[in-house]
Amino acid sequence: MLQAELVEAVLRRALEGGADFAEVYAERSKRRRMKVRQGRLEEAVSGLDYGAGIRLFFGLEVVYAYTNDLTREGLLEALETLLRAKGALGRVDERGRGGLDFRKRLPQGLHTPKVPLEGKDKRFRLERLLEAEAGARLAPEIKEVEASLMEWTQEVLVANTEGTWAEEERVRTRLYVLAVAQDGAEVQTGYAAPGKSVGLELFDLYPPAEVGAKAARQALTNLRAKPAPAGTFPVVVGNAFGGVIFHEALGHLLETTSVAKKASVLADRLGEEVASPAVTYVDDGTLPHAWGSSEIDDEGRPTERTVLIEKGVLKAYMVDRLGHLLTGYPMTGSGRRQDYTYAPTSRMRNTFIAPGDLEVEDLFAGIEFGLYAKEMGGGQVKPGSGEYNFAVQEGYIIRKGRLEEPVRGAMLVGKGPDTLRKVVAVAKDWENAPGMCGSLSGAVPVEVGQPHVLVSEIVVGGRA
Amino acid sequence: MTLEEAKRYVLRRARELGLEAEVLFQEERELSLRARNGALEEIKEARQGGLGLRVVAEGRVGYAYTEELSPAALDWALAEARENALLSGKMGSLPEGQPLGAHDLLGEGLSAPLEAKKAAALALEAGLREDPRTRAVMMATYTEREVRVSLASTRGAEGAFRTGLTALGGSLVMGEGGSLKQGWDFLPAKEFHTLEPGRTALELREKTARLLGAKPLRTGRYRAYLEPRAMASLLMVFAQALSGKNAMEGKSRLLGRLGEQVASRLITLIDDPTLERGLLSRPFDAEGTPARPTLVIEEGVFRTFLHNTESARALGQANTGHAFRRYQGTLDVAPSNLYLRPVGNLRLEEGVLLTEFMGLHAGANPVSLDFSLQALGLWVAEGKVQYAVENFAVSGNLLDLLQAVEAVGDDLTWHLMPAAAIGSPTVAVAELSFAGA
Repeated sequence: MLQAELVEAVLRRALEGGADFAEVYAERSKRRRMKVRQGRLEEAVSGLDYGAGIRLFFGLEVVYAYTNDLTREGLLEALETLLRAKGALGRVDERGRGGLDFRKRLPQGLHTPKVPLEGKDKRFRLERLLEAEAGARLAPEIKEVEASLMEWTQEVLVANTEGTWAEEERVRTRLYVLAVAQDGAEVQTGYAAPGKSVGLELFDLYPPAEVGAKAARQALTNLRAKPAPAGTFPVVVGNAFGGVIFHEALGHLLETTSVAKKASVLADRLGEEVASPAVTYVDDGTLPHAWGSSEIDDEGRPTERTVLIEKGVLKAYMVDRLGHLLTGYPMTGSGRRQDYTYAPTSRMRNTFIAPGDLEVEDLFAGIEFGLYAKEMGGGQVKPGSGEYNFAVQEGYIIRKGRLEEPVRGAMLVGKGPDTLRKVVAVAKDWENAPGMCGSLSGAVPVEVGQPHVLVSEIVVGGRA
Repeated sequence: MTLEEAKRYVLRRARELGLEAEVLFQEERELSLRARNGALEEIKEARQGGLGLRVVAEGRVGYAYTEELSPAALDWALAEARENALLSGKMGSLPEGQPLGAHDLLGEGLSAPLEAKKAAALALEAGLREDPRTRAVMMATYTEREVRVSLASTRGAEGAFRTGLTALGGSLVMGEGGSLKQGWDFLPAKEFHTLEPGRTALELREKTARLLGAKPLRTGRYRAYLEPRAMASLLMVFAQALSGKNAMEGKSRLLGRLGEQVASRLITLIDDPTLERGLLSRPFDAEGTPARPTLVIEEGVFRTFLHNTESARALGQANTGHAFRRYQGTLDVAPSNLYLRPVGNLRLEEGVLLTEFMGLHAGANPVSLDFSLQALGLWVAEGKVQYAVENFAVSGNLLDLLQAVEAVGDDLTWHLMPAAAIGSPTVAVAELSFAGA
């Protein structure tokens, strides 16, 4: 994307201006999105994102610029603007004089698509989307179906004054089906949205008709569901996307973004028991073809598997370069950003609770009255207080250990550290699911995951 | 290529290919200064722009965009847009355009020395630390944004405007005893000289500190007082039901309810893109329809959806000029400055004063309008705030909530949401369902 000589000139100029460290991140992303509705293509958009971000460290102070102008003049102007803003213009530092010797790191192709995006035409995609829509037409109550395909090829280059030169092409594909069920004035929705770091083999991994049917079944279930009860109950959280509760309530508290500022309730607690011994929590950026995987992070470091909590004991945080400078913890290949418009921060990749040894049925056995949160929606957390909330997309009442009627509109609320201690049982059926996680450095693809888990009590927001 | 060159190139190539085309160019300059412990921890200076294309080929519409303004990239975008149009199953057209002029809605609003802006960020950060209960300042930021929009089509649309805003944003954690609360605020304005970092810091500290020492709230049904920020966030969700595009796609519960009483008589909802110094005021929308105010709900009666030309035609209503598009996206509908008209008949008696809802993207369903949301609040009795309450969720349906509004305050406050500016006073709702201890 950029010539090494140009990148070197920018980095050397940054050192001359007094920066202790400088990094260039360049990106070209091709995106396509197609949406099908009522048996036809409703809209389609294709696009090219193209830009670069320049980040400089002056001690612990960070300056960041980005631009769509990737010419020599464009990049150097962005840099001079930064130096001017920092008040460092006109300085000439000796360190800019020496040459930079880039260590080029070649991609290994760990997540290369089996069916490349360019291997099939748009009509092929349209046909798959029509299959997804048809698959959702399960009952006359299904009034609306939208099936969308999103595909994204991101070429990145990261180079810095320590000699890092890393390039990667990341391909991601996601199918999204929304079903709306209606009965009189009652309207409910269901959705399914599988996505992986793959090409069009996504349709083989997740047959479109089945994805459509899954969304429709959820909408129909919610249509006959009663409002969820309100109160504090034991909750069995489903596997796969159920992991979003710990993504929100635990994962975000372990990013150095909040840990370094002592703004996380889990800061300075390495080696302590912070969760029930049933909990082992892992963030793994290397899982082959996972939605949140990549070979390098957005600071050009190889991603890795980071065990955050082992049998309840806090072992590690997720650490980016700035977090490393602020805390001294080793970097974990966790520096991520949405695109060139954001400076990277420490972020999750594919984060999950490791499987335990119980059968799923064992979790329900002792429950007199509780909630089964089979499918979760999204959620949110305030790292400083640990307060979190997340929505139940598909839920059922548990009575005397048995699964009974469906309920809708349940919201689980609590404080992360309390909830962690209340995870009393973990099953063995671990699965992950994709999502987009929004934070300081934008929205990045992540997987969340877990086996079925039993939380002894959570506040359930429903109808009082 | 410059923007002007790119625009002319695309329109010329489109005509050669026999396509109708519309070019929407947006360019944004951003400066953000983040302070921490008395120094600037992050300075960000950015320029981003791109060209969005909407083309009509054989009577059907396709989209593409590019941030790279080389002939190769522009040709790629045109070819993709054309291919997307030819695959589309939906007929469509570009509206007839008109000269729209060049407008400056920002003027000298951001004119101030860089040093003054740095000082604003530092003063905000220092102000946030000025309380023994402050445990951490997570963020204290000065931000400014300058936006240039330009629109042109083969059907004669041609116009441009410049706008922008300046803002202070802060987030902190406060603690007292074992109680911790995280507060945040983002205060946008049209002019730098109207920002008051010291006052913003003080207000944010007060707003956060009042939530400390919270007690659990018993599950039950209570009267609710929604502060402007809480109500504005619900109105943002409700705005989805006001979208003519969502209605056209069967995703609005207001479909078929024009002229009906859908809310309490105290509810009058207006969208006004022409508001002087409105945060998101604009002279025309994303497809060149000149801006004018729209009365959406009048004393509880539903008057109109917000429309672009396509949704207006599909539903047989007048176009309200609410086409919304970022260059990366497709044509949508969005409010500009949407606000609930103040009434001034609100007095606190007994109930829960809700200061903020959390997790709206997950806890509120924009189609069914059901919500179940974690909230922060204060218990009110005998006409005044008694103590903070926590660890609870509020649920119901937005249409029921709007019907149950029994008082509306006079404290209209604006909040900048992802695609709209939303204004609301404090609102009293007869009864809502609370799940807690």
